[in-house]
Amino acid sequence: MSSQHSSVEEQAKHHKHEGPKKHIIGFIMSILLTIIAFSMVAAGEINTTFIYIFLVLMACVQVFIQMGFWMHMKDRGHLYPIIGILMGVFVVFTIVIMAEYWAWW
Amino acid sequence: MSAHSHVDGQLPHEPEKATLEGRNKVLGFWLFLGAETVLFGTLFSAFLALRHQVGDGNPSGQELFELSTTAWATFILLTSSLTSVFAIQSMHTNKVKSMIVWLIITILLGLGFLGLEIVEFANYVDEGHKFSTSAFSTSFYTLVGFHGAHVLFGILWIGILIAQIFKKGLNVTTAPKIYVAGIYWHFIDVVWVFIFTVVYLMGKVG
Amino acid sequence: MAHAHAVKRYSGLMDWLTTVDHKKIGILYLISGGFFFLVGGLEALLIRIQLWKPLNDFVAAHTYNELLTMHGTTMIFLAAMPIIFALMNAIVPLQIGARDVAFPFVNAIGFWTFFAGGVLLNVSWFAGGAPDAGWTSYAPLATPTFSGGHGVDYYVIGLQIAGIGTLVGGINFLVTIINMRAPGMSFMRMPMFTWTAFITSALILFAFPALTVGLVAMMFDRLFGGNFFEPTNGGNAVLWEHIFWIFGHPEVYILILPAFGVISEVISTFSRKRLFGYSSMVFATVLIGFLGFMVWAHHMFTTGLGPVANALFSIATMLIAVPTGIKIFNWLFTMWGGSIRFTTANLFAVGFVPTFVMGGVTGVMLAAAPADFQYHDSYFVVAHFHYVIVGGLILGLFSGLYYWWPKMFGRMLNEGLGKLCFWTFFLGFHLTFFVQHFLGLMGMPRRVWTYLDGLGFNNLNMISTVGAFLMGVGTIVFLLNIVITSFKPRDAANDPWEDGRTLEWTIPSPAPEYNFAQTPLVRGYDAFWKEKMEGKKEMLPAEPLGSIHMPSPSILPFVMAIGLFIAGLGFMYGKGDYGDGFKAFLFNNHIVAILGMAITLFCMFLRSVYDDHGFHIEVDEITGDKGVKA
Repeated sequence: MSSQHSSVEEQAKHHKHEGPKKHIIGFIMSILLTIIAFSMVAAGEINTTFIYIFLVLMACVQVFIQMGFWMHMKDRGHLYPIIGILMGVFVVFTIVIMAEYWAWW
Repeated sequence: MSAHSHVDGQLPHEPEKATLEGRNKVLGFWLFLGAETVLFGTLFSAFLALRHQVGDGNPSGQELFELSTTAWATFILLTSSLTSVFAIQSMHTNKVKSMIVWLIITILLGLGFLGLEIVEFANYVDEGHKFSTSAFSTSFYTLVGFHGAHVLFGILWIGILIAQIFKKGLNVTTAPKIYVAGIYWHFIDVVWVFIFTVVYLMGKVG
Repeated sequence: MAHAHAVKRYSGLMDWLTTVDHKKIGILYLISGGFFFLVGGLEALLIRIQLWKPLNDFVAAHTYNELLTMHGTTMIFLAAMPIIFALMNAIVPLQIGARDVAFPFVNAIGFWTFFAGGVLLNVSWFAGGAPDAGWTSYAPLATPTFSGGHGVDYYVIGLQIAGIGTLVGGINFLVTIINMRAPGMSFMRMPMFTWTAFITSALILFAFPALTVGLVAMMFDRLFGGNFFEPTNGGNAVLWEHIFWIFGHPEVYILILPAFGVISEVISTFSRKRLFGYSSMVFATVLIGFLGFMVWAHHMFTTGLGPVANALFSIATMLIAVPTGIKIFNWLFTMWGGSIRFTTANLFAVGFVPTFVMGGVTGVMLAAAPADFQYHDSYFVVAHFHYVIVGGLILGLFSGLYYWWPKMFGRMLNEGLGKLCFWTFFLGFHLTFFVQHFLGLMGMPRRVWTYLDGLGFNNLNMISTVGAFLMGVGTIVFLLNIVITSFKPRDAANDPWEDGRTLEWTIPSPAPEYNFAQTPLVRGYDAFWKEKMEGKKEMLPAEPLGSIHMPSPSILPFVMAIGLFIAGLGFMYGKGDYGDGFKAFLFNNHIVAILGMAITLFCMFLRSVYDDHGFHIEVDEITGDKGVKA
């Protein structure tokens, strides 16, 4: 019915079964990023604006890794999920700008 | 419409996408997560707008938050996300038993996270940080509480799915459910990454 | 495994309560949306009676506030949205050549939760007072400090429940359109109405969660002592405005885009021409949807966001006039040189074009921030949004209903009565709202229950009231038309307008349960017209005749909606003074609320645990159907 019809054999050809290795690498990277973020805050004595930007950057990198590796968004056939999430992120972006700049104007 | 054609024979490699119903379910759930993104985004923005509105004499985030608790909660939830990946991998290689084991571990870790959160909230209430104390406290409990409610729902949901797998086995009807629950669980983890960053770490900085 | 499972097929009332058939759900949406349209219309007439002369005391000031709030809320959420969903349900799967929607069960949940929310909102009239803080329910007016009683609670919880229904309905249509198109029906071959339904569903998906959060926050403030919008404890009243309009502005595009789609279909069909500039129409629709998320603060120019923010939002708002203008010209060029037939549907469509242009022009006027300080909160704004919502959306919906009525019900509506309906409604509409532009420019504030004599408002208000009654007459003529034609035989042809261009006109009217006996093969835009031009009378089938798998009916969506209804009441009355009887025990401990939620969650549990195997419609039944109709 849909244009994405693909037979079982075709799927098998394209789908390489990755071992747990990649996922464990993703996990270790996430843990590392988390530890860096936490220790930055625990260390203290750093410029507030800088640390805010740094923390948000760490979070974004980590989310990127998790969505790519664990939620399979890097795999093919994820066009609509990517559009859906990106559009949501775009809307969230405008809402956060509202909260930061215009809620108390 | 051969919805049940694979049930008796070998399962296809990605059983969650073997039927139109399965593909619909996976896509619909992804779109639902797009909506959830906006939902949590709006909660975050309300928190961001109100996080400095502590009021006189009430504890601020800087005073309340303990990094060690948050670090443990983060570690537990991250690990549960990894175990749910392993569950989906087992599903793809048709190893039902190991899939169930990984799902049970995921649930247990989720329960651990929830327990930590309940203890944390109880401590805050003792320190005078109640739901209606200030705009900061209201938006804090709403944001983190919504996330906690999602974790609770996920635990119940995956629990029901495990029971179904015991009864019905893995087939093209149950596989999409497991897959979808898996991406839900990852999404909860992704939201938590932003919660520990924006609420706890930034709150600790001030 | 794929055997025919014994599935109970209900009849009568139970059939309607348990149906998961998108065509029947469409009819349910139409009936309930139509009912709420009449309720909202009645409220509008009471408002106009109150305003027909200065210092009138037909209703009390407080009642006026309730009428005004409920008129806006009912018309937007309980009349316009469901009638849009009625058309989407009835037509979109047919236009893309699908047998069913992606999630028939979820679709039913969408309808019943919407209905439960709508009923809950209107129960407020009989439970000590309707919401009275305006349809935007601004804080701090709607916070407990300034609004005691349960009126606004009904608004918050009723809309929350109805909003859940709308959101899941939107997801259903997105997945249906992405995954269920017939072979050959590429995105750029989709009929324009399907495109607008697609973009509207996407807007619903990303806008409604913001409303959900806003309503949750307002509910927490009102019921659990939260401080989101309570300035005394550090809350921020303007935050509500932001959150409401981040949802609310996309909402107006959610409303108008399907009307654009209807107009595109109707004008193209009755001009016997391909829609002019199809791809630019698609582009304009997507662009309007996208820009719709970046203009919310033009509702808030006077809150004092500052010149930079105001300038940005002014420009972004004016930008939307560009894609909208593209659409207007495309419609004009579609008509140009066509052999136009002025059926009722086309009259509404042709009437729509200049009317909507007027609403658009006042929109650009309001978008200019400095000028907006003058227009703000005056009847000029009332005139503007009624021009785009009534003159745009409602004319579009009438057009669509007259156009697709035979496909939904198998009967043509009477054209003579239809034209009477058009002229009374159309003239009444302009009479009502055109003069309000001038009332606004003369300084008459909106939302105020009466006005003084000698301000020059008297005559214009009188004209406006007369016009409102004329619109009422138009609506009654429409109802009469439905009643009278319902006694006629169900004999509409497959393609009753004879110029049908899209797939829905290739199948019987009304469509059979399975829509298409054989999934059609689509070979181009305006798929049916293309076959007609090559001298064929039917679509090429993409598959041989075979048994068709259908989902089984279920009562669970209805029960889930009842559960939410009970939970809503339970939360609302969670802190009352009930003495210390059983009632106090039930409500003050939130037992009623928990019970309601438990019903809903238990239904979800049942749905998850018991697989729906559906049933099959066998080939002989399908060919039997075909034989009768042919």
